[in-house]
Amino acid sequence: MINRIFRYSAIYILLILFQVLILNNIQLSGYANPYAYILFILILPVETAGWLLIVLAFLAGLVVDLFMGSPGMHASASAAAAFARPLVLRSMAPRDGYEPDAEPSMAQYGFRWFAIYTLIIVALHHIVLFWVEVMNLADFMGIMLRAAISTLFSVIMILMIEYFRKGR
Amino acid sequence: MRNLLQFLARHNRIFVFILLEIVAFYLIFSSNNYHNTRLVKSVRRSTLAWESIISDVRNYLMIRKLNADLHAENTLLRNYIAALKPATDSTDLLFPSVEKSDSLSDPRYEFLRAEVVNNSVVRQRNFFTLDAGTNQGVDTNMAVVSPWGVAGIIVAAGENFSVAMPVINVDFRLSAKVKTNDFYGSLSWDGADYRYAVLNEIPQHVEINAGDTVVTTGYSAFFPEGIPVGTIADFKKSGSDFYHIKLRLATDFRRLVHVYVIRDRLRKEQLETEKGFL
Repeated sequence: MINRIFRYSAIYILLILFQVLILNNIQLSGYANPYAYILFILILPVETAGWLLIVLAFLAGLVVDLFMGSPGMHASASAAAAFARPLVLRSMAPRDGYEPDAEPSMAQYGFRWFAIYTLIIVALHHIVLFWVEVMNLADFMGIMLRAAISTLFSVIMILMIEYFRKGR
Repeated sequence: MRNLLQFLARHNRIFVFILLEIVAFYLIFSSNNYHNTRLVKSVRRSTLAWESIISDVRNYLMIRKLNADLHAENTLLRNYIAALKPATDSTDLLFPSVEKSDSLSDPRYEFLRAEVVNNSVVRQRNFFTLDAGTNQGVDTNMAVVSPWGVAGIIVAAGENFSVAMPVINVDFRLSAKVKTNDFYGSLSWDGADYRYAVLNEIPQHVEINAGDTVVTTGYSAFFPEGIPVGTIADFKKSGSDFYHIKLRLATDFRRLVHVYVIRDRLRKEQLETEKGFL
């Protein structure tokens, strides 16, 4: 248990550092910024209590907010993604359910499963993020397009990180 | 009470979610004060130290390009000096007794140097942070220009850092005119592409062409007159009386590093004189 807390803390710190030190500074193409820190929300153990998941996601988003100087937008999007995660996991459960200490990772459930799972959660996170940022319904298609492009970048980035993490 | 606790325990997920979303939205809606809260200030102070290091690395990686930009700018300034020199010399020659002109020794506008340490172009409300604050003479409502043209306006100033709102922020407004015919309109950003902005309120009887330069008017009491804003990339006649002009911005906001903050010595006087009339 202690070991686990230590491991997830390390992953969390590495992801946040990677996000604020590198990803926030490259700004691919000028339209989209990949948000890889969402991986932290994705890979917490399946049995994590719902409330704890939301609190951890909120705090992760808040730290990113502080570094980006945006007020509460990532916190709100991350909390929404964490809120939806149990529902997504339930709908994607393998035939005989999850194992007691399963981790929703590429290593355990395969590339295809993990890619779909990531796509759903990240798309949700980004749609909330972009709506919260704009706060009006005027340019519906424009915002959805921006969210879609960003989602694509983030999913690719997350899958790449997860692929290299797989060995461990 | 027991029932209530049981109810809360059973649906804790939803309650935690709603509670945290309320906190997040509180932060978002109080975002005007957000940068001034003590917690955010102290955290920003430590993250800004980080950002200075990051921007050092980033600038080092771009150093060739930055040098080229500065070189180009130096060349332009040298040309201006060269063009001015005969004029000042001849004044000296013709009126040796006249003191050095006030407008030269005490010009209306003073340029202060600053470097961008944090920047964003992908959001709707973009901001960038400068490494100069009140200690360096930077204050709110001062104009910021890049080597290419208009960059933004200072919206918050700390002791050693300040935050500016760039043209690519949906809340930004500026009056700008077409250089060839002096007709002026209102410049804003539609939130779509960081390279382009929109110029409205130019009447349709005016002749404009793609490639025409657009500059500041000086009506805004922020920018001096004649600073480049961009060039006309595309325009169409809409149903109204005005053109819808797509403007290619002069400043490349992704490569914004060296900027100048413009202090207008007469701004206060101008605003006070105008007060009650405008």
